[in-house]
Amino acid sequence: MELISEKILKGTHLHTITVDKFKTNSLNIYFQQPLVPQEVTYNALLPMIMQRGCQEYKDARLIAKELEYLYGANLIGDISKKGEKHIILFTLTTIALDYLEEPKLMDSALNLMKEVLFRPLIDEGGFDKDYFNQEVSNLESKIKGRVNNKNQYALDRCIEEMCRDENYRLYEYGRLEDLKAINPMKLYNHYEKIINNSPIDIVMVGSMKHQEAKDYIIKKLHLKDRNIEGVSFPEMIAAKEDLNEVSEDMDISQGKLILGYRTQISYQAPLYPALLLYSSILGGGAHSKLFLKVREERSLCYYIYSKVDKFKSIMLISCGIDVAKAEETKAVIADELNEMRLGNITQEEIDNGKEAIITAIQALGDNSNSLAEYTYSQIVGDFYLSPEELANKIRAVSLNDILEVASSIKLDTTYLLGTSKN
Amino acid sequence: MQYDKIIGEAVKEVLYRGKFQNGLEVFFLPKKGYIKKFALFATKFGSNDLVFNRLHDTKVIEVPEGIAHFLEHKMFESQEGNVFDKFAPLGASVNAYTNFNVTAYYFTATNNFYENLKLLISFVQNPYFTDENVEKEKGIITQEIKMYQDNPQWKVFFNLLKAMYHKHPVRIDIAGTEESINRITKEDLYQCYNTFYHPSNMVLFIAGDLEKDKLFNEIEMSFDDQGSKEISSIVRHYPAEATHVKNSLVEEKMIVSTPLFYLGYKEKEIPYDHTNFLKHEAIIRVLLDMVFGRSSDLYEDLYQKGLIDQSFNFDYVRELDYGHSIINGNSRDPHKVKETINNWILNRKKIGLKEEDFIRIKRKQIGENISFYNSIEYIGNSFVGYHFKGLNFMDYLQALKEVTYQDIHQSFINHFSEDLQVLSVINP
Repeated sequence: MELISEKILKGTHLHTITVDKFKTNSLNIYFQQPLVPQEVTYNALLPMIMQRGCQEYKDARLIAKELEYLYGANLIGDISKKGEKHIILFTLTTIALDYLEEPKLMDSALNLMKEVLFRPLIDEGGFDKDYFNQEVSNLESKIKGRVNNKNQYALDRCIEEMCRDENYRLYEYGRLEDLKAINPMKLYNHYEKIINNSPIDIVMVGSMKHQEAKDYIIKKLHLKDRNIEGVSFPEMIAAKEDLNEVSEDMDISQGKLILGYRTQISYQAPLYPALLLYSSILGGGAHSKLFLKVREERSLCYYIYSKVDKFKSIMLISCGIDVAKAEETKAVIADELNEMRLGNITQEEIDNGKEAIITAIQALGDNSNSLAEYTYSQIVGDFYLSPEELANKIRAVSLNDILEVASSIKLDTTYLLGTSKN
Repeated sequence: MQYDKIIGEAVKEVLYRGKFQNGLEVFFLPKKGYIKKFALFATKFGSNDLVFNRLHDTKVIEVPEGIAHFLEHKMFESQEGNVFDKFAPLGASVNAYTNFNVTAYYFTATNNFYENLKLLISFVQNPYFTDENVEKEKGIITQEIKMYQDNPQWKVFFNLLKAMYHKHPVRIDIAGTEESINRITKEDLYQCYNTFYHPSNMVLFIAGDLEKDKLFNEIEMSFDDQGSKEISSIVRHYPAEATHVKNSLVEEKMIVSTPLFYLGYKEKEIPYDHTNFLKHEAIIRVLLDMVFGRSSDLYEDLYQKGLIDQSFNFDYVRELDYGHSIINGNSRDPHKVKETINNWILNRKKIGLKEEDFIRIKRKQIGENISFYNSIEYIGNSFVGYHFKGLNFMDYLQALKEVTYQDIHQSFINHFSEDLQVLSVINP
C-alpha cells in the first residue's frame, strides 16, 4: 500500500492511496471536532440536515436522483467518536471509469459533494426550518432507539457508567435534553464554525494519482485556506479504587454482561501492540481463551469477545448469557485474566493470536473503506504506523511484553443488563 | 481436472468452472492484486429441508426444526478436537452460516492458502458426532436462539414469514426452537449429513490472486484420498402452500422505542426457466426501487410526514418454490404507512410509472452490481446461492440490462396486490 500525505491547503490535508484493483473510487472527508457536552448534539444533527438539501439540489429527492443517475454513486454523512474527538465523515463512492462510458461521472459526483458540504440551503440566517424540525425529530428517535439493539446498548451503557466523569461517556448521537434549545440559526452558526475552523482530512482510495487528485479536488470542491483550531486528547485515567458494579433491569431473554477494564496503555506507547495481542489471546475470536472456556467448555454463551478501544486505553469484554449465571461467568472470566497474569500462555496461543491480528491487518488492503478508516485512525491520533509496520511490531511482541500488559490491566466497571425474574 | 471459462465482460472478470467425477462443481474467480483469499464450501441444505428421501430409498425422513444449523455448529468438532484450533496457527479466519436453503463453510486467509483449503475440504467431509458433544451444543445454541429472541429486527421479520406462509418451512426459525433442538440426536445429524453432504449436492467457490492450474490440481489431490461415494439424488418434500396469505396482520410487543414494521407481498409461483428467472428478479428489484427508493415521491411523502426515517428499506427474495418482497422500517404509525402505500399504488396503477425514473434506477442498479465485485466474500456468497437455483450470478448484470420499461409496467400491475399483503409490527 502506498500512501501519500500532504498539507494541500492551510487546514486541509490530502491522503491518497492509489490502487487500481477496485471497481470504485472513494473519497472520504473527515472533520475533526472535540467531543464535548455543549456541542455533541449539534455535531450529530449536522450531517443529517446537510443531506436534506443544498442550493443546487433543493431537496433530498433531487440529491437521490442525481446519485442514482450517476450509476448509483453513494454520498453518506455520519458521525463517530474516536476517544474524546467527535468526527463528522462524508464518504463519496463512485464506479471507476473503466467500467462505464461516462467520462463526466466524477466531475458531477464531486459537484454534488461540494454542494452538500459547502452550499447548504439557508433561510433567514439558519437552516431550512422544515428540514430542521424533521431532522430534530429523527435525531430524537435515533437517540431513543438506542435501546433497540441490546448488544450495542449494553456496550454503550457500560462506557457511560465507566467514564461518567469523562466526556467519552457521551453518546455520539447526542443528548435528548439539548434538542429543545437548538434552533436553525444556532445550528447554522455551528456549521460555519466547523466549515471554517475544523481540521479537514481527505482520504482518497482509488485509481487517481496524488498530484492529479490534489489539483482536481481543490478545484472541484472549491477548497480554500482556513485557520483551524486543533483538537487534542485528554490524559489517560486509571481504574477506580473500588469496582463499580452496575446492573440494569430489562425484560429480555438473554442477559448482556459487559466488563470494562482500564489498560493504562496509550496507542502511542511501545507496549500498545502487546495490548492488541493480549486481547486477541484472551478474547479475539475462536482461538481465544474466553471462547474456549466460557463457550466451548462451559456452554455459558453463544458469543464472547474482548476488544481494545484504541484512543481511550480501555478494554471491554462482552457476552450474552443467562442472567442467573452472571456470577459464574464473571468468575470464569476472572480466572482467564488471572491465567494471563500468571503467564499460563502457550507459545501456540501467542502464535495463533499473532497470526489472527496480522491476517486482519493485511486484509484491510482489500476493502477501500477499511483502508480509509485505518489511515484516518492513524492521522487522527497523530501517530502513523503503516499496516506493515504494525504487523512487524505484532510479530516482535514477546511473552514478557504480554505479562507487562497483564499486570497493567485493571477491572473498573461491570455492567449487567437483564432480569432475574424469569 | 478439466475446466472451462465463463467471461463476465461488463465487470471485467473471468470465472473458471471444473467438475469432478463425484459430482462436485468447483468455481474459481481470479482477483489480481487481492491479498485475501476466500474459499467457500457449501451444501444445498438449509433450514427449509425438514422432510426428504433419497431417490432410491422410498422411506421419507422427517427431522427436527433447526437441524441444518445444529449440524453446521457440530461440523466444527473433529475426533482430534475443535476445528478452529487447526485453522488458528495458519492465520485463517474460519466460519459458517446456515440460511433457508444453504449451509456454507468458509475461510479468509492472507497466507498458507493451500493448507487452509485442505483443512476446509477435509473437516467438512469428516463429521464427528457423539452423544456428549451433541448435548454440549444445546446450551450454546439455546443462548443463540435467545439472542435472536431479543432482536426486534429478527422478530418482526419472522413474524411476517409466519403470517405470510401457511405451511412452507420458510416460516420456521432457522435455528429452530429450544424445544426442537433439544430433540436432536447424533443419529439425526448423521442422517442429514449422509444425505446432504455428498459432493454432488455441494459446491466449492474460491476467489483470490491464485494460479488456476495449481489451484485445480491441489483441489483434485485433496479429493483423491477420499473414497468415491455413490451419487444419489435427493427428493425434498414441501407441503402444498396456498396462494393467499395466512394472516394479513401480526403484532407483538417488545422493548423498542418506536414501532418497527415489515410489510410484505407474497408472490405467486413463476414458471422456471434459466433466462426468465433472473430477469424476473431484476424486474422486481428495479420496480421496488422505483416505487420505494430514495428518489420516489412516495418515499418523499412518507418522510416529509414523519412516517418513516432513514431506516426505511426494501428487498426481494426469489427462491424456486417461494418468493416475496419486503418493505421495512421504523414508524410511529405503521398502519398509516401501509395505507399511504396502498393509496399511492392504487392511484399510480391508473396513470403508470415514469419512464425517466426507470432509466435512472436501471443505471443505479447497474452501478451497484458492478461494485459488488469489490468484495470477494459477497460475490462468493451470492454466487453459491444462485448456483443452487441453477443460475449463474454473473449473468445477473446482463439480465438487468435487458429489462425494459414495458416489463416494469406489467409487473407493477401484478406484483402489488393488496390481498397478498402482510403487515408485521413490533410495538413498544
